Amino acid sequence: MRRRIVATVAGFGVLAAAAVLLAPLAGSTTISLSRAFDRSIPFADNVDAQVFFVARLPRVVAAALVGAAFALAGAVFQALLRNPLASPDTLGVSAGATLGAILVIAFHLDISAFGVSSIPVASFAGSLGAFGIIYALSIARRRGTSTTVLLLAGVALTALLSALNRFVTLIADFTDTFRSVRWMMGALDVGGYREIMAALAPMLVAFAIIFSLPRVLDLVSLGSEAAEFRGVDVKRAERLALVGASLSTGAAVSLGGPIPFVGIIVPHIVRLMVGADHRVVLPASALFGAAFLIVCDLAARTLFGPVEPPVGTVTALIGGPFFLWLLFKRQR
Amino acid sequence: MKKKLRRIAFLGAVLSAISAYSAVSAIAQARRVVSIIPATTEMLFAMGAGDRVVAVGTYDKFPSGVEKLPRVGALLDPDVERIISLRPDLVVLYGTQQDLRTQLERAKIPYYPYVHKGLSDIAETIRSLGARVGVAERADALADGLDRQIQQVRARVAPRPRVKTLIIFGRERGTLRGLDASGGYGFLHDMLEAAGGANVLADLKTQAVQMSTEMVLSRAPDVIIELHYGRDGRDTDLAAWNVLGGVPAVRNKRIYVLSGEEFVVPGPRVGGATERLSRTLHPEAW
Amino acid sequence: MNTTALPAAPATSDVILKATAVSFAYDRARTVLEAVSVTLRRGTILGLLGPNGSGKTTLLRLFAGTLVPARGEITIDGARLDSLSRRALARRLAIVPQETHSAFDFSALEIVLMGRYPHLGPLELEGADDVAIAREAMRATGTRGMESRPFATLSGGEKQRVVIASALAQASDLLLLDEPTASLDLGYQFDVANLLRRLNRERATTMIVSTHDLNLASALCSELVLLKGGRVLAQGTVEAVLTPANLRALYGIEADVSVHARTGHMTVVPLGRAE
Repeated sequence: MRRRIVATVAGFGVLAAAAVLLAPLAGSTTISLSRAFDRSIPFADNVDAQVFFVARLPRVVAAALVGAAFALAGAVFQALLRNPLASPDTLGVSAGATLGAILVIAFHLDISAFGVSSIPVASFAGSLGAFGIIYALSIARRRGTSTTVLLLAGVALTALLSALNRFVTLIADFTDTFRSVRWMMGALDVGGYREIMAALAPMLVAFAIIFSLPRVLDLVSLGSEAAEFRGVDVKRAERLALVGASLSTGAAVSLGGPIPFVGIIVPHIVRLMVGADHRVVLPASALFGAAFLIVCDLAARTLFGPVEPPVGTVTALIGGPFFLWLLFKRQR
Repeated sequence: MKKKLRRIAFLGAVLSAISAYSAVSAIAQARRVVSIIPATTEMLFAMGAGDRVVAVGTYDKFPSGVEKLPRVGALLDPDVERIISLRPDLVVLYGTQQDLRTQLERAKIPYYPYVHKGLSDIAETIRSLGARVGVAERADALADGLDRQIQQVRARVAPRPRVKTLIIFGRERGTLRGLDASGGYGFLHDMLEAAGGANVLADLKTQAVQMSTEMVLSRAPDVIIELHYGRDGRDTDLAAWNVLGGVPAVRNKRIYVLSGEEFVVPGPRVGGATERLSRTLHPEAW
Repeated sequence: MNTTALPAAPATSDVILKATAVSFAYDRARTVLEAVSVTLRRGTILGLLGPNGSGKTTLLRLFAGTLVPARGEITIDGARLDSLSRRALARRLAIVPQETHSAFDFSALEIVLMGRYPHLGPLELEGADDVAIAREAMRATGTRGMESRPFATLSGGEKQRVVIASALAQASDLLLLDEPTASLDLGYQFDVANLLRRLNRERATTMIVSTHDLNLASALCSELVLLKGGRVLAQGTVEAVLTPANLRALYGIEADVSVHARTGHMTVVPLGRAE
């Protein structure tokens, strides 16, 4: 088992590292790499260096973190809800984050904090709000909540929040409406590292929580009673899984927007390659998710001319057909 | 018999003359005008037809008289019932508002379809709208004045080298995310060209461009102009640009904020807007 | 059924699991179990019989430690159940539920390995001996051959045998089975019952089997507990408990109970509704 984990992490690690190292070399404009790395030119005057280190590299790093965070959250939600079609959006955390962002955009609120601008702060707060509602529900019943109840609560919350989102979008100025719609398609062009640093803390906490759970997630995926019979503290495990996955989702959405499909596709592809054991699936999902989103963002910023589509359109273009294929496969 | 026929013919001629005259007058005068477009509302007031305006659109802010007028929606949500109930004899609407046009045709209310194009079309629209409303003389004078104003600006900066400029009309506050820039098409671009600037995005034939930070760096504008209008007016936090120190505009601290609706409303105030733009780009010429 | 004369249990009479005057209610309105006392001796197969709602599954859950009795106590090897940690208890007894569904494509071996969880160290990684134990359990249940097949593609009988192997890998000498053959075809019912009997005979595995199937109970079990309305109606050897009077009281049916000529154990044939 140990060998399998090491081999998988090594293999996917190489993939992710390659993506991180190679992606900044390409972009919508041509730069001279030798100039970019020429230390004799003062940084403030070196446009090539700035393109590489200020425009491209943060973008690649953001893509890696956001991709890993969504993929991990997706894998955990799928195990928690015992459903391979679950995603970070299923329980309403993404919808909450979207509501936070849209409120800031529509009402021109200024709630920046800790050097982070308003929209990321608001979307993180929104995701925590949605998570809080789901969490309160999951601990309200003494005997624990069945996944059916959790799923239904998630559906209801998502429906409510989406309706609110639509309402706020409609009453807003139409330039603000356009901005909201664009935000919802995702954007990794952060320009500098400040926002990445801000999102890093909650992400690391989330990852630490999630990586304490892989074997337990295997057992929980068979059923909460089945897990309990094998000695798992199921209530604690389910709560931790919920906290970890929601925190990961909230941090990812606040950094890159609610980029669709990463959370569903990546764990699936990974499971097709390495099997279902979460001790392998979790690290592989994180690494593959990072590589996947880096590649999608690379495609978005190089394949479509000087004006680039939002990265969410690329993940949707890949993810949509893949998702349909998955559904067909399962039917047989 | 012959006498009767002649009398009838004479009466007929008189009647047609009268109706022809009334028809011509009916076409040439509009006394109750609804305008749901900020640009045309400004035009109507500027050409002295403001007293004929009975209702305006949601986003109309200028001149100061408009707050007292009833508002009947805008591009996406025109309040058809309200418009019709005001019994207008002319409705100025967007050319693309197909549903509204159909409704007005059914109610037999005349309309004027407005199309949003380039700088030179603004004067053209002023003239044709003025003729339609029945204040052709004042409208022509206004249009001429506008043409002259813009021509003067062009002349002032003609001998000077063009300044590589980037116009940003939208940005996420506090960051460089969601940059909306003016592309090489539309009245904003035309204004920039008239004011002596060279749009760094001139090759992109679209009105709005979503820019990446990489693009800003590679296009290297010498001046960045941020347009603030509407409720965003207060935010002048330009510190976000400092990460892109390699851009000449940032390095030389030539980032300017221009506030005011006249930059985003293609109406009679574009002359003044063009002049303001030019003063910002070529202060020495003024 | 194969001819094996009863009783099959070895003669040790240590009490391994004991419930004393246990009561339980899911909510204020419904008391599911009332003053139930059950004694399980080492090496026996104890059958839990009763109609739906009689409290069989609840009693199993109480024994498994996933529910806590409102009144009374349960001991295992003389120690109170609640004095053991969840993991310690899981090492001691294993439950085979009626059905097992896997949301993901685990192989049969991976399912069996999950039974080793309470035995794992802090890193929660299986070692070579864990895998060996799992494989041995699969051999004992005749499922070695399907080791790498996806669990979801197995037949009902094969799945149950794999789950039994998982339980064996977890705690090889005390199993609680909740209607283990309820969803199986007759052939697979036979296989599973056979397997359980063999485990009991060869490894002295103690079992509690909750079931609807009276004939399975009489063929497999050495002792029976009849539950009705949350109370113990009768308890004892199969011959003593499986009487027409008890069946009338339990199910409201008139039945013929006799010893089957070829197999030697009791068979029950319902004749009609009781007046």
